Amino acid sequence: MTGPSAEAAPTTGTGAGTEAVTDATTPAEDLAAAQAALVAALVAGGPLPPGFDTGRVDAARRALLRKRAGEVARAWPLLAGSLGAAFTPRFVRWAAGRPPSGSFADGLAFAQHLRDAGELPPLGATELSEREPRPEKVRRRFWRR
Amino acid sequence: MTSALSRLPDLGVGVGWRPEIAGVVADLPDLRFCEVVAEGIHTHVPLSGPLATLRERGVTVVPHGVRLSLGGAEPVAPERVRHLAECAALLDAPLVSEHIAFVRAGDLEAGHLLPVPRTRAAVDALAANYARTRDGLGDVPLALEPIAALFDWPDDEYDEADFLTAVLDRTGALLLLDVANVYANAQNRGQDPIALLDRLPLDRVAYVHVAGGREAEGLYHDTHTDPVPQPVLDLVTALAERATPAGWLLERDGDYPPAEVLRGELAAITGAVAAGTRAAGVR
Repeated sequence: MTGPSAEAAPTTGTGAGTEAVTDATTPAEDLAAAQAALVAALVAGGPLPPGFDTGRVDAARRALLRKRAGEVARAWPLLAGSLGAAFTPRFVRWAAGRPPSGSFADGLAFAQHLRDAGELPPLGATELSEREPRPEKVRRRFWRR
Repeated sequence: MTSALSRLPDLGVGVGWRPEIAGVVADLPDLRFCEVVAEGIHTHVPLSGPLATLRERGVTVVPHGVRLSLGGAEPVAPERVRHLAECAALLDAPLVSEHIAFVRAGDLEAGHLLPVPRTRAAVDALAANYARTRDGLGDVPLALEPIAALFDWPDDEYDEADFLTAVLDRTGALLLLDVANVYANAQNRGQDPIALLDRLPLDRVAYVHVAGGREAEGLYHDTHTDPVPQPVLDLVTALAERATPAGWLLERDGDYPPAEVLRGELAAITGAVAAGTRAAGVR
């Protein structure tokens, strides 16, 4: 704690309260907050906490996106094949700042995004149509019975 | 923990089992062990398919967890521990393994193994999660694997070797040592990998991972999609000179090579281990 805030504490009630809360965090709570901030910076577009080597964390973030692209390509082979060499850069651009939700769900959302943008090649569209859940149809059948 | 080590069978040189290379793995005549990603195993049905065939042949199958988040500040999820225990029972495994890493925090999944800060608080968190996991596993030993990291935390209180020693001292865990990670970490910090190896608690090594990576953006990335480079094979030899792990395992994830290339990589590891064992004998 810095001097000025400690001096201010006795005169302002809210300041003293904040101070008490800050002092009460345990090392485990600090670790949890630090880990959450780092993950947010890596996968959700959050700010990088101070002190880290920005270049190194950026390299890790890009490596993570490339690895994720590889996993989605394995789960969605026709989608990946239909985009060819463009798949990885296109996926990485889409996925940056979006937290991973598993290779199937990531591929599904990415394919739907391409379709909405009118950029989904025919083979990818075939794969999407075979695997896209159709909640409306299921619901209608349920009500008829 | 030496008793847990001495109970391990001699496992030889094995390979990380993946569905994509199931055929190649099934055709390896001398295979004594492989590893399977625990999160990919269904435990509510009897074991079937290629893994069941391997088990019938007497091949040891070690469940290797990747999503437990042992290094997370939050307690490990009991259902994940239960799944790991069910995997061990289903495969009759002599041990299971997981990473000294965290994979999620604050409701966000990283989708990757992330380095924990090398602090006392992280040792405490790891020790607590290790104890919770051990409770759920019963008699099955749990080996911990340090990871390759592209970056360090700003508030590190230990260096890598001291941190690992502190974690193993606190937990009593076995060590799953990945020599490719040792190489990657040393390379990316401008250190000598042999010097790093010599400071690790090598008497705790249960088995060893070997994998290939590649240079990108001036850093060595532990990709598992590339051939094992010579410096990593040299570390295999150096480790075999210094310790006698129960097994050595090639990890490959993606960009799977033809069968003869994979067999060639296993032969190269076997050769590198033999060179180290010979050198140790001469000494």
